Amino acid sequence: MFDALHTPDNVLVVGGSSEIGLEIAKQLARRGSSKFLLAGRSLEEMQRAARQISQVSERAAASVSVIHFDVLAEGATESLLAAAKAELETIDMAVIAVGALGNQASDEKDPAAAERILEVNFSKLAPAVLAIANQMATQGFGHIVVLSSVAGVRVRRSNFIYGAAKAGMDGFATALADAMIPSGVKVTVVRPGFVTTKMTAHLSPAPLSTTAAKVAAETLRAADRGKVTVWVPPLMAVVATVYRHLPRVVARRVPF
Amino acid sequence: MLGVCALERTELLRGWGRTQPVMANVVELDGTPPSSEIFVRPGTIARGMGRAYGDAAQIGGGRVVTQPDDVASSTLAEGVLSAGGGVSLDSILSAYVPKGWFVPVTPGTRYVSVGGAIAADIHGKNHHLEGTFSNHVESFELLTPTGAMRVDREGDPDLFWATAGGMGLTGVITRASFKMIPVESAYMKVETRRLDDLDSLMATMVGSDHKFRYSVAWIDCLARGRSMGRSVLTRGDHARLADLGGAMAGDPLHYQAKAVASAPPWLPGGMLNTASVRLFNEMWFRKAPRLREGEIQRIPTFFHPLDGVSGWNRIYGPRGFLQYQFVLPDGEEEALRRIMEEIASAQVPSFLAVLKRFGAANPGLLSFPRPGWTLALDIPVGSTRLFGLLERLDRQVLEASGRLYLAKDSRAKADTIAAMYPRLGELAAIKAKVDPDGLIKSDLSRRLGIL
Repeated sequence: MFDALHTPDNVLVVGGSSEIGLEIAKQLARRGSSKFLLAGRSLEEMQRAARQISQVSERAAASVSVIHFDVLAEGATESLLAAAKAELETIDMAVIAVGALGNQASDEKDPAAAERILEVNFSKLAPAVLAIANQMATQGFGHIVVLSSVAGVRVRRSNFIYGAAKAGMDGFATALADAMIPSGVKVTVVRPGFVTTKMTAHLSPAPLSTTAAKVAAETLRAADRGKVTVWVPPLMAVVATVYRHLPRVVARRVPF
Repeated sequence: MLGVCALERTELLRGWGRTQPVMANVVELDGTPPSSEIFVRPGTIARGMGRAYGDAAQIGGGRVVTQPDDVASSTLAEGVLSAGGGVSLDSILSAYVPKGWFVPVTPGTRYVSVGGAIAADIHGKNHHLEGTFSNHVESFELLTPTGAMRVDREGDPDLFWATAGGMGLTGVITRASFKMIPVESAYMKVETRRLDDLDSLMATMVGSDHKFRYSVAWIDCLARGRSMGRSVLTRGDHARLADLGGAMAGDPLHYQAKAVASAPPWLPGGMLNTASVRLFNEMWFRKAPRLREGEIQRIPTFFHPLDGVSGWNRIYGPRGFLQYQFVLPDGEEEALRRIMEEIASAQVPSFLAVLKRFGAANPGLLSFPRPGWTLALDIPVGSTRLFGLLERLDRQVLEASGRLYLAKDSRAKADTIAAMYPRLGELAAIKAKVDPDGLIKSDLSRRLGIL
């Protein structure tokens, strides 16, 4: 259940070794969320994350379980929902932090690799999110937080495979927010700019870069207010909106 | 066979604080259908007027049972009123005050159902002398998963006192019989007193509350330092015929209660901030007389001032608000002072803080009142400071052997409530007898792990 301050009791983090997902979980644990289920590919990393989450909670330690989840695997969503039902009773909040950046240069030459990026970030992920949303509709409440990216706002030459997948997911999730209104389920789509995490460690930070902790804080602020979209940092909303409307000939020359 | 399922509709429900909306299947009870048709998974809970602040009268994805506010089916015999579980105190007052009868206990709103009054074991301004609503109840009819039963205060004290204050978790109260009180008029004789600080307020209440049937103090929770606890104490009794003059004497039982204004359907958040509430509290304190005695007030003015503005809960904006109400036992006045200092220094924009003295407790397993002091304040949701502040207040309340009121709660944690209500286990045992499959549940019971 949620409390009056919109702190959930039970939290599902899909992409359980994501740094942003972990930060959101830690901040929720500090606020009093008591049960977490981390679902992801690396059990080892998730166990490390689980220890961090249970350590930050101020009251009786939060209970954290982990489950292997690979969005590309057959039947993954069904087992995830079954585990969530067993571990959490109700999925109050689901944080969707699944993502793979890929390698644009080599993926362009390898359609199979490109397909994998599209699947992880969008075409296999969206049905999983839909299944969670439907589960929440049955319980009459719930909040899904989807980590999108400014990369999906205007797809750029420099990472158009990842960007196109994020664009798909962003559109899917924002419209899902509208679709779920009659069922009492909320969706918040987070659009961070460049976040310095292990996923981006090999890249040089773009302007307006931010951290996982800041993304988590802004995300929860927006979720508390029931906002459908949130940009991190907030200024990114202005920058991205301007960039999106630049003529293509100009946009092509913007160096990031 | 009533086929209740056919009447089921899906509705967005939330408490009076408007904080935790959920979709649930609402069905209005008509007569007493078979229990197997009423109680379904994942859970079923009764709902009255929806005035519990949090998630007590809802269950997301489950079934919520309502009942008609049908005062015409009530009967009064020898001062005992028998009324349906969905009948509101509002309807009862409108029907019976003109006949010279008043409800034994009314809270700060008349929009409370008889079932809700028992389930939350409500208290009013007369608790210091006359206890809670359930203290005046002789028996009720309870619909449970194991059947409908009449629960008599003397005959089945276990189930009676598990249900009184039990937040609906033992079943649906479909009818109740309770003692009304005779009144000579529909007016109140009121004393209003302005007090400059907490010490003088508490001394006045301890010293002379017993002389008045009704007593409550309104405190400015933003005032700090020497002014902390500055307040307006209003106390009174039902006016007797001899107290009335003029037109009132000609028609002493004339009673009319209706909302004179309505909050707009949509209001932005943030209208109630520290500055606006401070201004309001200042004006309201200044306009109160230092001492005024013998004032004649109408019943709604004295008991239900907020009911004059329908939908007043909307002024807190889309994010809603919560009410923090706790009781501290006598002897914990210093803890009360510390808690009020903490609230004042946090500068939460709270108007309408209410301080009241409680009298004797009753045997209700989850009944809230106990002898001592109760403070209730409304707090808008929004500031991130609330996370830590409310947790700190919980700890102080618990350390002072106090507890929170479940009908108001929308955010406490399971372990906190378990420590405040050590008899939860007894409730669970009695509940298991009438609800062996655990079909009676609310969002509150799920949040607090009350099974």
